[in-house]
Parts: sequence; C-alpha cells; structure tokens
Amino acid sequence: MRNISLIFRKGLKSVFVFAILSFLMVAGAQAQDLVEGKTLFKGKCASCHALDQNATGPALTPKMNEREEGYLIKWIRNNVELRASGDKTAIEAANYSPTEMTAFPTLTDDQIKNIIAYAKVGEPKKIVDAGTAVVDEGVSTLSLLGVIAIIIVSIIVLVVLGRAIKMLERLILQKQGIEVVEEENVSLAVGIKGLFKNKKFVFFFVICLIAVLGSFGWMGMWNTGVHTGYQPVQPIKFSHELHAGINQIDCQYCHTSAFKSKNSTIPSLNVCMNCHKAVQARKEDGQISPEIMKIYNALGYDADKQTYDKTKEKPVEWVRVHNLPDFAYFNHAQHVVVGEAAIRKQAGIKPTDPVCFACHGPVNTMEEIYQYSPLTMKWCINCHKEADISGKKNDAFYANVIAAHEKIKKGEKITPAALGGLECGKCHY
Amino acid sequence: MKGSTLAMNKKYIVYAAFTVLAAVAMLSACTDKRSTGLEYARNMYDPIAYNQDQPNKNFVNGQTAQTPPLNTDPVGFVRFEYANTPEGFAASGALVNPLSLTEKNLLEGKHYYNVFCGPCHGEKGDGQGHIVKLDKGIAGVPSYYGEDPSHHTGETGLVKDLSAGKIYHTIFYGLNSMGSYASQLTPTERWKVVMYVQQLQKQ
Repeated sequence: MRNISLIFRKGLKSVFVFAILSFLMVAGAQAQDLVEGKTLFKGKCASCHALDQNATGPALTPKMNEREEGYLIKWIRNNVELRASGDKTAIEAANYSPTEMTAFPTLTDDQIKNIIAYAKVGEPKKIVDAGTAVVDEGVSTLSLLGVIAIIIVSIIVLVVLGRAIKMLERLILQKQGIEVVEEENVSLAVGIKGLFKNKKFVFFFVICLIAVLGSFGWMGMWNTGVHTGYQPVQPIKFSHELHAGINQIDCQYCHTSAFKSKNSTIPSLNVCMNCHKAVQARKEDGQISPEIMKIYNALGYDADKQTYDKTKEKPVEWVRVHNLPDFAYFNHAQHVVVGEAAIRKQAGIKPTDPVCFACHGPVNTMEEIYQYSPLTMKWCINCHKEADISGKKNDAFYANVIAAHEKIKKGEKITPAALGGLECGKCHY
Repeated sequence: MKGSTLAMNKKYIVYAAFTVLAAVAMLSACTDKRSTGLEYARNMYDPIAYNQDQPNKNFVNGQTAQTPPLNTDPVGFVRFEYANTPEGFAASGALVNPLSLTEKNLLEGKHYYNVFCGPCHGEKGDGQGHIVKLDKGIAGVPSYYGEDPSHHTGETGLVKDLSAGKIYHTIFYGLNSMGSYASQLTPTERWKVVMYVQQLQKQ
C-alpha cells in the first residue's frame, strides 16, 4: 500500500517537474523569438514600416493579424515573385504605394516567423506618468507675488510689534503708579500734514526720490535698445535643449547658411520633416504631439496618407530674437568659418562645443531660446580689440595687405583695387 | 507733548523708508523677458527693404521669399537632370563624381557627412547613429557596408555597391523615410559627401 502511494507521489513529482520545465522552455523559446524578431524588424523592416502607424509601408500590426502566416512568409520573402505569379491579393497590396517592397530571399522561415511574432505583439506599452508633463509657467509672476506678500506681512508685523511695545510701556507706567496721559487722537490727514512740515522728513523723502528716479533713469538709458534676455513666445514650442542638447544635433544641420553666408537662416519646414516624418512623439492615446501637428498643419501634411496639400500651406511666423539693426553689417560665415579659432580662444569655448556658443550662449540648455549677448557696439568692439588673429597672417587676405605695404614702402603706385576695392561687398550689401 | 510727536514722526520715517526700499526691490524685479524693453528710434532698426522671411503684402501669398519662376537657373548653376523615379535613379548610375579624390575634399566630405548624415547613418556608416539609438521612431537605417539590400524600387543590389551617381540621387531626392538634402547641401558639398560615403562603403 505504502509502495503504491510512494510510486504515485514520485510519478506526480516528475510530471510536475516536467510540466514546469517544458513551460519554461516554451516561454524561453517564445521570448527568444520576440527578441530575434525585434532585431530583424529594426534591421530589415523599420526603415519603411512602423508597427502602429503608416509610413513608407503600411502599419504592420493590423496587416500581420489580417493574413495567415504561410502567405505572409511568401510575401516577405519575395513579393515581386508573388505578384508575378498573378496573386490578386498581392497585386492589390502593392497598390499601397508606388515604392516597391524590397525582397528578402536570404531570410529563413524561422526568421520570418520571428519577425511576424514580434510585429503582432509589438512593444509593451509604456505607462507615462502624467504628472511629469506639467509645465511650470509664470514663475516670474509667482515670485513677484511672493515678494509683495513678504513685504505686506513684514509691515503688519512691524505695526503689531509697535502696538505691543506701546501697551507694555503703558502697563509698566501704570504699575509704577504714574498716571498715563491719553494721547490726543491725531487724524491721518493732520498727521501727514505734520509730517510734511517736518524738515528732516522732507529732506529724507526728497533724497529717496532722487535716488530711486536717478537709478531707474540711469538703468533705463543704459538698457534702451539692448535686448539681452529677450525671450519672445514662439508659434511652436521648439526646444533647443531637446534638439541641440539631448539629441546632439549640430547647429549646422538646421542653420545651414550660418556657415556659408551673412545670415543664419531659420530652417524651412522640409528640414523639420527630415526627422519628423518618422518621429511623431505620439502619446498613449495615439495622438501625434500637438507641437509636431503644427508643422504638419503648416505644410498641409496628412500623416496617415503621407501626402502634402499645397493649398493648405501657410508659413510659420517665428518671432525674431536677435535683431541687429540694418545699419550694422555682420557676417556669420566670416566669424564662424574664418574667425573660428580666434573666437574659440577668446571666448574659451570647449572643443566639443560649437563656436556659436561664444555669442549665443549655452543654446543646448535653453528650452526656450533667448538673447544671450547684448549685441551692442561696445560688445563687438571689446572682442575686436582683444581677439588674437595672428594665426591668420599667412592667409591670402593678409598676404595682399603685406604686399601692398611693401609697395608703399618702395614708393610704387597703389590703387584701391590692391586692397580689395573691387570686391562687390565693399559697396553692395 | 513735543517729544511724543517726534517719536511718532520717527516711526513714520521708518515706515516710509521701508516702503521706498520695498518699491525699489519690486520695480527692479519688473523686467519683462517677453518684451524688447525701451527702444529709441525703432525705425532705425527696421530695414526699409524687405528681409527674406518677412511678410510682404505686395505678393499674392504674402511672403517676401518667392519661388523662382519656372525653368530659370541662377548663373553657373547646373541642373540635376535625373527624375525622382526608378528609371531616373537607374540612369543616374552613369554619373561620375566631378571632384578629384583629395584629402581636403574627403575631410570636408567627412565634416558634412557627420553633421547631416551621421545622426542617423552613424559616423561609421553602420546605420547606428545616435538618433537611431534614441529609438524615437527612426529605425532600420541600412548599413553602407555588409549585406544590407538597397531599398530603392527596382534596385536589387546591396547598399555597398551603389555607385556615386546613385548616392547623389539619394541625397538629392531622399528615399522612403529619408528626406531630400538638396536644400541643406550645395552640389559641390553633396559630391564631397558622396566621396566620403564611398570610402565608408569599402569597410
């Protein structure tokens, strides 16, 4: 009897262990599938397909659930052959876009199955904490209110303390048996009148007034026309901190012309679309980020159909931050390309940072762009007095100047043309 | 009596001084970052002529920057005659890089490559640029070397075998998720990038 139960127990145990083992193996194999599927998907498919949104190719998760695996394998391996064989479904599917899907004859059945398994399930949805998205705005008004509140509170405290001291004095006097003479109640108007008759007070008041008005006037005059710290509200909440800082995109990628011409241009929207055709920063509910939608709306771009509607185009009206008056000539390329080494040295820019930081400040930390430098004449002149360009003495430009000097020393004829007087830009800009 | 009025005045003087100090502190905190502040003779700052990206009521679409008239070219500009079609792409394979392979050209090509292409294609051309690694929607960038197939319609070869003209065609028009870089790179710069990409293909 006992033996039987022992055997039974042993059997049960082994069955149990076997079940657990096989379950683990299956689970392990499936996980392996998904990991390999993901790698293959990222490598072979993701340049044209996304899982849940249409791209160059259609969204894959619904397509993978629509058709049976055997058919999908045939299509993925060589869709051209499948269409050539006259398969109606395949010919219809190819109508999605004039772009042909690449054939993958080297993929094995297992590899394709892994891709399909991954495409069906997709990424586990991330749960985003809604609390972190709160934007703190109006810090300046808050701090101002705080200052006012502190002042009011301290005035009240002063008044209360004054009253308390008076009361205590009176109590002490009463205890000492001295009769307190009630002060006559002076009305406020009479009190102020009395105050202005007090020469000391009037003198003090006038001094204060002069100091306040004088310092404000002085500061106001110095800062007239100086826009340091100017940070206008832009039509799209573009963050330089995200793009130039976290994502490490070079300044030149968007402000291409700063390295070629006088102006550093604001990029046109096709430059945004180089990335934002694919990067849509969708929220959990599948909505495209509202700021990216502003790009799409300005272009008349339909994200699902991936088509542009020219009739809906309207320019994005960025607000200009750095405005050098037109009577001052400034050339970006001259500073960024020709003067780069000298400016880097003068401003102490790290070799890993762009030379642009010398004047525009740490743009890679600015969530909202603002004017970092005063752009005053004094500011320009100070740098031009100090920056060291002796490294440039072998340049063609300086060679010309030296040659001209030699001519002058010898008493030869010298023309404006020898000093670059035929350059168009000397007169026309 | 006189003593008490003086004491009262002293108190008022203290209050007044405190108020003035508070007012100064408050007003000095009052700079508005959203405004340009005081300006004298603003009209000297604003140009008389229109700037390129200024609104302009003289044109129908209200913009100063107008598209050049059809079939016009700037002086010295050479048009890229190949269409953005599989046929145009195939035909562009015949193009040869007009620049000679020099160290200077390669270095400049490398600079432009790292700025404009590197974020996605990777500094080594392996398709693993830092934007791809962020995994925010850009993925599956093919490697320039190895066995990655070209994703051009009608092209059955590998990326590492693409000719100079075909690479130029891709930079000019873009491909699938990749946009056109014609507005960011001049023709000479594009050829320098092509030169550098061809170096990366040889890995």
